[in-house]
Amino acid sequence: MRLQLKFVIYNALSKALIIGAFALLLPAIAEQVVYKHIDSRLEARRDLILKKIKLGGLDQALLEEDCSFDDYNIFKEEFISIQPISNDGAHNPDSSVFSNEIWNIDEGNQQEHRVIRQPFLYDNQWYELNIGEGVSAIEQLKRTIVTFSLYSMALIVLISVFFDLGFSRLLLRPFYLIVDKKLRRTNSPMQFHFHKIKSTTYEFAYLDESIDNLMKKIQDAFNIEREFISNVSHELLTPLSILKSRLENIVADPSTPEHVSLKVMESQKTIHRLSRIIRALLMISRIENEQYLKDEKAELKSVINEAVDELEDRAQSRNISISQQTENFQYQPCNRSLIYTMIFNLVNNAIKYNKDNGSIDISGKVSGNDYVLEIKDTGCGIDKSQIEHIFTRFKKLNKDDDNSFGLGLPIVKTIAEFHRIDISVQSTLNEGSTFRLVFRKSTV
Amino acid sequence: MTVLIVEDERSLSHEIEIFLTKEGYHCDAAFSGAIALQRIEENSYDFVLLDLGLPDTDGLLVLKEAKAKGCEAAFIILTARGHVDDKVKGLEMGADDYLSKPFSLAELQARMQAILRRKHGLKSNTLQIKDFVMDINNRTVHHNGNLVPLTKKEFDLMHYLALNRNRVLTRMQLIEHIWGDTMDEEYDSNFIDVHVKNLRKKLTAFAPIDWFETERGIGYRFNLPGT
Repeated sequence: MRLQLKFVIYNALSKALIIGAFALLLPAIAEQVVYKHIDSRLEARRDLILKKIKLGGLDQALLEEDCSFDDYNIFKEEFISIQPISNDGAHNPDSSVFSNEIWNIDEGNQQEHRVIRQPFLYDNQWYELNIGEGVSAIEQLKRTIVTFSLYSMALIVLISVFFDLGFSRLLLRPFYLIVDKKLRRTNSPMQFHFHKIKSTTYEFAYLDESIDNLMKKIQDAFNIEREFISNVSHELLTPLSILKSRLENIVADPSTPEHVSLKVMESQKTIHRLSRIIRALLMISRIENEQYLKDEKAELKSVINEAVDELEDRAQSRNISISQQTENFQYQPCNRSLIYTMIFNLVNNAIKYNKDNGSIDISGKVSGNDYVLEIKDTGCGIDKSQIEHIFTRFKKLNKDDDNSFGLGLPIVKTIAEFHRIDISVQSTLNEGSTFRLVFRKSTV
Repeated sequence: MTVLIVEDERSLSHEIEIFLTKEGYHCDAAFSGAIALQRIEENSYDFVLLDLGLPDTDGLLVLKEAKAKGCEAAFIILTARGHVDDKVKGLEMGADDYLSKPFSLAELQARMQAILRRKHGLKSNTLQIKDFVMDINNRTVHHNGNLVPLTKKEFDLMHYLALNRNRVLTRMQLIEHIWGDTMDEEYDSNFIDVHVKNLRKKLTAFAPIDWFETERGIGYRFNLPGT
């Protein structure tokens, strides 16, 4: 789930929770406020009536207040009643009691009222004054408040979701910029650009800086490796070059006896082998070190043709037939000479590990956006247990073959990885192998 | 022909000098970039063999400075550094060729001859091998006007032997010239013999080729004294 969405959902939920809690509490608060209000009104009324009784007598007060001695009401919502009570017991004229009571007003019509009870002494007789006010209005008020707050809550949450979406998108923009520009579009650490991505958010600036620092470290490591490869290359190849030149001079010298020349020839073989291994290893290291550019186009059909042409004589010498059914495909961006080396090595292997009078089928097909190249030989095949090792450096497949240095396929693998070409092998022992390459159409 | 060998590795410089001197070149040696530039200024060379990894400076800078001073020598870069873009840079800066170490002296000599032919702008770039005429530009061989049908590899083989005439080229030297690094020395060292055999057969069909000599177990030679 996207952070933006999570953020918005969290915000909406927390708002709903707060508003919901408020909505739940609101009726109780409202009730408190309303009762307080009613109570003070009832008290004022009580004081007024008691005053009238004191001044004009009970009858006068009853007349004026338009209420009965016994039970009387005008509206259902409120009533005043004065009832004589027994003179026994202690009645405190200073204490009044508030309570909620159900009063029977009309026939069968019961209503809840807020009632104040006030005992008073008149003509040596104790009376109780009851003033009541209907509270059904309060319930209605409570319901209104809850409904209103529920609707407004929903509205507020909706509006806030809308704003949160916009705001969080704005907030997260630097993050997506960092990921896109600094990580996704960086194919190799050496192509990394150290430009700050503007953000007022501390965390994103921190992330940006951390990525820059990491990349700096990787670039430094790459540069150290590059330097190392260059040094190794120089330190190994220079003495080899001296040896090679010296041996050539010995052979070229007419005074060198034949048996010495023969030895020298053998030494040339060894030097050739040594320089081949060193060059292959340096090539792998350089590819892994991103020293090769990938800025060319390759017409795969013509690359395959070139490799086959170059190897035709080797195939012919062992009477191996090569059949080619290749569609063209423009592969880019790539390093053409590396692509050539990769295909050359595969075809070379198909010849090398083939049997005499064998055959090689090369098929290249455009498949959707991809290009599938298959090189199928009728050679010795690879044992199942060995297949996972064939791309490992210096792994010999045939123990009796002294010259399989196992660098041809590691180079193929390295070049394929460098170009993100999928490579897979299918093989049956003594029947042959098929190497399958899938070139993906670049999305860049 | 005069050659300046700019190479800080003295043993290598010495071996190159021995080889080229035998070929009739006059050789000077410079072990640093500064001395190289000084020599270039004082003398006019036909060739400058330039190592890139010099102790005092980058060989490419020597090339740049020499070119800026109007040096007309042909530059061949010799390098063990092998930066991927060294070759491109070197050629862009006006170098005529590029050999990465370890290179073969026979190869160096052949490249130098190729540069000479190119520089002198020979319209008909041909090599006369007894009765055979090799057309380098069209990559054909004729005998008395009749085309000798050679494959690409056979032509390369004959051309290389012709450029290194009167000297035995070992099978390894021939293999390296024709197939470079891609050859397994044991797997294919007899393979060159097949090509030589085919080449001989095709040439013999036109004229006797007693000058095409075999040094048993070692290699082959075009024995053409006086040419």
